Amino acid sequence: MSVEYEAVIGLETHIQLNTTTKIFCSCKADSWDDAPNSNICPVCTGLPGVLPVLNRKVVEKAVLLAAAMHAEIQVLSFFDRKNYFYPDLPKGYQISQYDHSLARRGYLELPIPASADPNGKGYVRAVHIHKLHIEEDAGKTKKERNRRYVDFNRCGVPLVEMVTEPDLRTAEEAGQYLIRLRQLLRWLGISEGDMEKGNLRCDANVSIREKGSSVLNTKTEIKNVNSIDAVKDAIQKEIERQIREVEKGHAIKPWTLDWDDNAGVLRMMRSKETEADYRYFHEPDLLPLEISAEWQADILEGLPELPLERRARFMRDLQIPEYDADILTADHDLADYFERTIGLYKGDVKKISNWLMNDVLRMRNEWGMSMSEMKLTPAYLAELVQLVDEGKINITTAKNLLPKIQESGKNPRTLVEELGLAVVSDDAAIRAICAKVVAQNPVEVKSYREGKETLIGWFVGQVMRELRGKADPKLTQQILKELLK
Amino acid sequence: MTNLVNCSALELAEMVRARQISAEEILDETLTRIVEVDGRPGALDTAPAVDDEKKVHAFITHTEELARSQAQEVDAKIAKGEDAGLLAGVPFTVKDIFCVRGTPSTAASRILANFTAPYTATPVERLIAAGGVMLGKVNLDEFTYGSSSESSAFQPSPRNPWDLSKVPGGSSGGSAAAVAAGEGALSLGTDTAGSIRQPAAFCGVVGMKPTYGRVSRYGLIAFGSSLDCPGPIARNVRDAALMLQVIAGADRADATAATQAVPDYLREIERGVKGMRIGLSPDYFRITFPDPQSGEYVEQALPAHMQEAVWKAAELYRSMGAEIIENVPMPNTRFGIPVYFVISRVEAASNLHRFDGVKYGYRTKQAVADLNEMYRRSRGEGFGPQPKLRILMGMYVSAAQYSEQYYQRALKVRTLIRHDFENAFDPQGPYRLDALLTPTTPTTAFGMADVYGDSVMMQYADQLTVPANHAGVPGISIPAGFSSDGLPIGIQLLGPDFSEAQLLRVARAYEMATEKEEWREKKPSLLEGK
Repeated sequence: MSVEYEAVIGLETHIQLNTTTKIFCSCKADSWDDAPNSNICPVCTGLPGVLPVLNRKVVEKAVLLAAAMHAEIQVLSFFDRKNYFYPDLPKGYQISQYDHSLARRGYLELPIPASADPNGKGYVRAVHIHKLHIEEDAGKTKKERNRRYVDFNRCGVPLVEMVTEPDLRTAEEAGQYLIRLRQLLRWLGISEGDMEKGNLRCDANVSIREKGSSVLNTKTEIKNVNSIDAVKDAIQKEIERQIREVEKGHAIKPWTLDWDDNAGVLRMMRSKETEADYRYFHEPDLLPLEISAEWQADILEGLPELPLERRARFMRDLQIPEYDADILTADHDLADYFERTIGLYKGDVKKISNWLMNDVLRMRNEWGMSMSEMKLTPAYLAELVQLVDEGKINITTAKNLLPKIQESGKNPRTLVEELGLAVVSDDAAIRAICAKVVAQNPVEVKSYREGKETLIGWFVGQVMRELRGKADPKLTQQILKELLK
Repeated sequence: MTNLVNCSALELAEMVRARQISAEEILDETLTRIVEVDGRPGALDTAPAVDDEKKVHAFITHTEELARSQAQEVDAKIAKGEDAGLLAGVPFTVKDIFCVRGTPSTAASRILANFTAPYTATPVERLIAAGGVMLGKVNLDEFTYGSSSESSAFQPSPRNPWDLSKVPGGSSGGSAAAVAAGEGALSLGTDTAGSIRQPAAFCGVVGMKPTYGRVSRYGLIAFGSSLDCPGPIARNVRDAALMLQVIAGADRADATAATQAVPDYLREIERGVKGMRIGLSPDYFRITFPDPQSGEYVEQALPAHMQEAVWKAAELYRSMGAEIIENVPMPNTRFGIPVYFVISRVEAASNLHRFDGVKYGYRTKQAVADLNEMYRRSRGEGFGPQPKLRILMGMYVSAAQYSEQYYQRALKVRTLIRHDFENAFDPQGPYRLDALLTPTTPTTAFGMADVYGDSVMMQYADQLTVPANHAGVPGISIPAGFSSDGLPIGIQLLGPDFSEAQLLRVARAYEMATEKEEWREKKPSLLEGK
């Protein structure tokens, strides 16, 4: 009889905050385009005698994330020195937070879509976080032709470290967690959340156990995974490896594994027999971090409705399908855009959802801009759809108008007039064209009168062509039928 | 003509502002004094020379050119009728533990011997901005780790101007010796356990450790970050007040610098002590230390002449209308050194991590197999014995398995020491002291090489000064006469947080009351006839 296994997965994430300056000095935080060692100062390179001064924006962004994760924000937290030697760590210690971190506990109600559920139904996984703290990033080293190079640009870039409890059970769930975390970071505007660029980093702790058991077995740690797909891939392979080992009767050792993205394999970096002693102690160069009730309230005034809450509200209050709600809450701008549009539109909100998902998003992606930058404002979109509903223009015209509105920034009503796109519903004008079409096509008229009534569509098409699509289709058909009797 | 090198900073600045004398003239006369008394500056790998014993050797680096340009700038301002600052033309020295842009900033260590700072420490910047003229960087114990200045990697180490066979104290030994020998009116020192007050006492000058955070630490190469205090060393109390006035205050570059407004320290400095409550504690009239043979703790009363200086001061204060409160209990004083041994070492070991041969400072010249060997050799060759001892001790007591037993426990005892002071100064408490009067040091200056080498006994020289560092409270050491062998004796005044103005006033009262005493006429032997 074969045993059924389940995986126990915890994720340790490092989130690079998108502040203007570094956490303890006034160098700019982002060095993506800078030459090595060109964005540094005495403070972030740890010259003798320098002192750190905390950037309050770092605290504010971390507090937003803590609140969004439903974590308990601590009134008093401390910075600590994590002591170790490495060339990219210029002070020989990292300023971090240890036993009194900015926030404790917290959770994310993680929706697992049907597509990621083996049972095909979808479910919710509660992922708890143990603690959330702020710290400074280290620099980078690289080895080239037997020489070691150090770049200090990244020293002092603000990070949030957030560690989940071992609550995840599949590689899919781990992927979903990162997708939702990335969405949240962007939603709150606190980080680009881009794993490829390293502003969202993730180490995964993986162990397996018999399904139904509650023991925690020896875990391995996977490092250097640089995309969400790679995280899923690496975890899946590690689960399979552990199952093979256990089935062979081997014990799992507490290895640290390095993900090789090109080869798609895990390699052992080191065995972790003893834990390093970082000799943590409170950083005497910084005061304890006090987040007063006033400051916290000020910060949380900027906390928007969260993406998963908004998604639920769209489904519940607007009766939007889950699929639509997911897309419409993919980013904050889009969700706002949707809500502003439906607030100005008198009709079925699902119609607006369709317009957004099918046409507007495609156009946004083509133009490579954010919703808030679009000249096609919510008011214009609402007006455009309203014009269709009123029969002033037809759907085709409306779709063709989208890029024109975006290019000109003019409102749809004005454009319809300027371009003469309004549906012609003037009986006399249509009647004249209909008469002309009937007169010019005696063969078809004959066929129709002999009983081939499906030709009515062809006649309508001819009239439409004459009027460049602007003829009111119902009226046209009515007049044609009259003339062809 | 007035001997400018013996003038106070206040007098010099006043004369410069009144155009009676130029900053450059003061500088010239001071440079002459330095040439006469100082001898060769400390340097790495020097062989001892006979003449070394006849000079002060306060300096590591002379910054004559810098001083010249600063003096000229002051004179130019005066010529244009501009405000040249509180310290217009006043020559000063800086303990070589502060970074000063474009000058070697060595911490008296081989590992930083080749380090030239790219920025200037906040208190130095403020001294220069106030019209001060920086003469150079003066010697100290390596990384400030000592109480005699002998552990400097830059030899010869400073000597005591009152008796060149004695140490000037430390770690701000170069600072105190320079000020005592007329090599600048002021010196910027640092005090982590007594490193301003003890050498000031040994050299017969005034030294003040301000409240923790009163003076910015930005640019001070850290020893014990939670204890380090920059402060003034001067020949009299009013000069110390003047210097503190310039260097104190909030600093955007130091998060631990206090934001309280800086009062005018000179305004009420001569208002006397009438009605003040000045305390004496039996716990400051003895020292407790481990017996070198048995290792057992033994208690020993201070030498009579050290106690007498304090009693005499107390009598003077009483005669001036102060109330003397005897038997103020400070029971945790005796734990000051053991607690310091733990806390300062943990912070020191961590603060020394950055000296790894990677970015600046000393890197081994030997071929190395890997990164770890580069670290080991660079640090092994670059650090002297004191940093090594402190790293070993600091790493030991902060290790995961010992931290609770040593470091965490030391932090608790530190709080108890703080409570001693809070109890003594509490305005609603049983003692309600304005100041606590104590000896500064257990002994007068000891002989060169007499204690050096015994790290534990050396540390006990700080027993009466270190509690103020633990508690964060301010303290000042002022000259109070001489022992029978002609060495200066210092007395110490300790006060509650941010009571500098009051302490300076109490210190000034003593100075005024003893102005006419015979011992005030004494000069360091080195300066006889100068």
